[in-house]
Amino acid sequence: MTTFEIRSGVDLHDVQGNIIKGYGRYGFPVARYVTYRINAAVAGRTFIKLLVPMLTTSVPWSESGVVEEGTKQPPSTTNVALTYEGLRRLGVPERSLLSFPDEFVMGMRARASILGDVGASAPKNWDPVWQTEDGQQPVHLLVTINAESSDALAQRYEEVGLAARAANDVAGDSAGVQQLAGHRSAGGADAAFQDGAALRDEHGTPGPKEHFGYTDGISDPYYKDSGSRSSNVIGGGKRLRDSSPATDAGWAPLATGELLLGHTDEALEYPAAPVPSTLSKNGTYLVYRKLHQNVATFDRYAASEAAKLSMEENLFRAKLVGRWPNGAPLASFPTEAEANAFNAKLEQAKADRFDETATPTQRAAATERHLELKEQQSGFDYREDIAGESCPVGAHSRRANPRGSLEFGQDHAFSTPGALVNRRRIARRGLPYGDSSDRSVDNGDHGIIFMAIGASINRQFEFVQQQWMNFGNDFRLGNDQDALLASWPDEDIDPLRARMTFEVDPDGMEVPKICTGIPQFVETRGGDYFFVPSLTALSAIARGAVDPT
Amino acid sequence: MVGAGGGGRLPKSSKHYGLTALCPIKLGTAPGRNSSYEAVVRETLAGLDSHERSPMARVPNTYLARLYILKDVFYEGRSQQEHLKSQYLFFGSDFHGELEPYLRGMWENIEPEVRLIWQHCVAFGSSVNSAESFVDYIKKCQVSNTFLFNGSNDRPLAEQLKGLYLKQEFGDFVASHQGASDDELRSAFLSFAERVQVTKLDGPTWRPGAQTLESARTHS
Amino acid sequence: MSNVAGKAQALNVWTPTRRKGIENRIIFWVLPRFFKKKLRGLQTLSLIHYARWVIIAPKDFPNLGEGQPTEELRHHYECFLSNFNGNWDQYIDSFSMSLGTGLDMLWFKNVGFPNSVPIEPFHAYINANSIPTDHYYSAYPLAASNDVKAAQRVRDSLVTLAGSASGMSPKQFRQAYDDTIRKHQDDISRLDESVIVSLATEAVQNQARQEAF
Ligand code: HEM
Repeated sequence: MTTFEIRSGVDLHDVQGNIIKGYGRYGFPVARYVTYRINAAVAGRTFIKLLVPMLTTSVPWSESGVVEEGTKQPPSTTNVALTYEGLRRLGVPERSLLSFPDEFVMGMRARASILGDVGASAPKNWDPVWQTEDGQQPVHLLVTINAESSDALAQRYEEVGLAARAANDVAGDSAGVQQLAGHRSAGGADAAFQDGAALRDEHGTPGPKEHFGYTDGISDPYYKDSGSRSSNVIGGGKRLRDSSPATDAGWAPLATGELLLGHTDEALEYPAAPVPSTLSKNGTYLVYRKLHQNVATFDRYAASEAAKLSMEENLFRAKLVGRWPNGAPLASFPTEAEANAFNAKLEQAKADRFDETATPTQRAAATERHLELKEQQSGFDYREDIAGESCPVGAHSRRANPRGSLEFGQDHAFSTPGALVNRRRIARRGLPYGDSSDRSVDNGDHGIIFMAIGASINRQFEFVQQQWMNFGNDFRLGNDQDALLASWPDEDIDPLRARMTFEVDPDGMEVPKICTGIPQFVETRGGDYFFVPSLTALSAIARGAVDPT
Repeated sequence: MVGAGGGGRLPKSSKHYGLTALCPIKLGTAPGRNSSYEAVVRETLAGLDSHERSPMARVPNTYLARLYILKDVFYEGRSQQEHLKSQYLFFGSDFHGELEPYLRGMWENIEPEVRLIWQHCVAFGSSVNSAESFVDYIKKCQVSNTFLFNGSNDRPLAEQLKGLYLKQEFGDFVASHQGASDDELRSAFLSFAERVQVTKLDGPTWRPGAQTLESARTHS
Repeated sequence: MSNVAGKAQALNVWTPTRRKGIENRIIFWVLPRFFKKKLRGLQTLSLIHYARWVIIAPKDFPNLGEGQPTEELRHHYECFLSNFNGNWDQYIDSFSMSLGTGLDMLWFKNVGFPNSVPIEPFHAYINANSIPTDHYYSAYPLAASNDVKAAQRVRDSLVTLAGSASGMSPKQFRQAYDDTIRKHQDDISRLDESVIVSLATEAVQNQARQEAF
């Protein structure tokens, strides 16, 4: 049954909508990320004042007849986030500024060695908009717009631009807030904004694929009181010990404080947060990372390495990520036939659900079926696959969320199987950008605007990126890096260094396969760390009324 | 396990020894300096080379070791405040084997550094002039462990290092011989075994303390 | 001054304890037994090479004569010393969340110990009572505890395999070889330098490198 928790411990009107809603899932296939510099505090504060009424909150949208409460889904959404330098320039007092965590104060560029942004990913190779001459963060304010159509997107972009101009008029400074160009795009390196868009299938319908050909955006953490569908706890929550991962008894919601400041977290306390609490409560952090994808290299490597290891290429691709390109998890569907059969059912149920010619009863039944199948897409763990014979221990999605598997089969080693995982979850809110229909070159305009949201950048995103993607010790995999994201300081790296093992049943007859010479598939092209204030905090910032005394 | 006397081991059957020693540093101003003895000791420690060039790299069977200065105890704000009367050079070492041979090995291999590090400790200059007297001295400074945890193993260091060398070399061998025929595989392995000398502990192997792969291999 | 030696980090924590000798004996008698069953967590976590707890009574502070004053302390002191993998600030969550009650027992009755969960007060307590290491040495900066253990397993198997290989037919050898790599499929992952876990440590190392010229 679809039920929404609306009345809860979180004031969803106060929480910006991009935090809780993966807009891509709600039929918003296009997005625009607009970067601003704040040169005059008054203009910046006025801009925020004008933006606040335009912002999308986390209040659930009504879905025809299912809930009584909630607002109607708009044609576009708008959200705003600020860097440390942005907060400083808006006049937020020193005492509040100093209470932000180090990594946020430093910004993403200064964290390059922690994040493995070296070689092709080094900050000097980022898009011009992220370059800095004075060592300060160049981008101060980020507006993110998601929309159901390009028209709706263009219209909202126009309105945001008007607000910026109006703010500059008020301040009497035509460059008070200044839109920063310099995003690399198909048209060159100086685009006025960064566009993102769901990739379209051969019929032109936007879908969930990313540029390497995988279905993305499936797993999504589920937090207590976040207002989303309660069955999303399956696979999205934290793993409990004794019930099946296929059922909601096998999972519990993550503490709200893992996502939002001002709420208790998994360590039974309020996450460290800036002062005063009106500035931090219901706010959170956003990591914005533009990740270029070398599609030609990826395709070439998948074909040649699969052949070298005598594997079906599709299986090879699945092993890298832990899900088949069609999204079915390897842990539950170890063979391609099973994965395809499952996916066919899922697609059918989805088609039936939105079939305009069917009766309401038929559609309701199809909806039920579709949701159940989606639960199967998420409701699994690796505890029956400790060795990694179905899903490799080093597969991207297993690294990113090992679910219960870090007990390594030692049941009851920890008080809960998710002890090492529950504080490392991140909510992904990005979209692909560009076009990769020409698969023969790497240097087209294509990649992911990766956005990660959580209450601590350092404990969640940076930890996952550094310890789980760029390193292997927590998985007992030495220095092995994630195959998708591995980055190298230079190109001629020893091929035996860049490798990944596809494990087998230790008691069986097969032998493990080891991919070697994995090239760099993904390059960082820019980004920064942002604070996503609550609406209350934004109003206080806009009034210049933040007072930590 | 509340070890009496020796107290560096738990359980007694383990070959892992955890030495904890607190060596009092002389009080007062170091001769010819405007600083305390403690400051001189700290400077000496700061001047030691690290990793493969650390003196401890030459002390047989040292897994991990540390030196720091205990300046005082901490005040927790809830009880009566108190202070130490001396400052102590803390020497902790986790190693394989028995205490006395270990300390003798230390003296034999790094006597000049031992003298340099400990020279300003109480009673060191007056009593230590040989391996045996060094052993006696450290034993006087030793405090018993209450509880010792081994999350690794208790093999001789040479075995641990050889293992690491073999793990790395064998991994590379496996990764680069996938798809070889049975004949090729066996003969390639035989030359591999010839090269890596599986049972020979003194080489080829990894160099103690090596911080980079390059310097680890220079030993092999 | 560095607490870092490649993949190992040193931690030195000194705290006054109100625990009496008898309580210590009980706790540390129970612990190893507890470790076997309940605290399998610490073994499974596998982030520690070696660690120890030393309870030091006032009379235990070594006194070597030659005018060294006698310590006059009211408290016993608990000295905790650990060699673990990863960065303490980063891994405190892993330790706390997975070992909670075990840690509480180890610092039981220590003055001001706030319990290991919630984590912020525990983190503050450990930081406030830590002493930086002046000289820290690891025999294998390139290895985590997991790697040392994996290496030993690999070596043990290779001794057998290499010892018998020359007497085997290629077919027999293939079988023995396949068995070996199946058994050690993840033990043979690649070792390399540690990822950079602390920008401060990176800066210290860079400065040391510059000074070397
Ligand atoms: C171009 C870069 C990337 C690509 C192509 C990519 C692709 C994928 C795919 C195909 C999935 C499986 C689908 C799903 O579960 O939603 C996935 C899951 C995931 N990825 Fe990535 N990813 C990228 C970068 C990253 C980065 C940088 C991080 C974090 C540091 C990350 C964290 C995750 C997480 C947390 C999951 C969900 C795992 C789960 O809960 O089961 N990804 N990614």
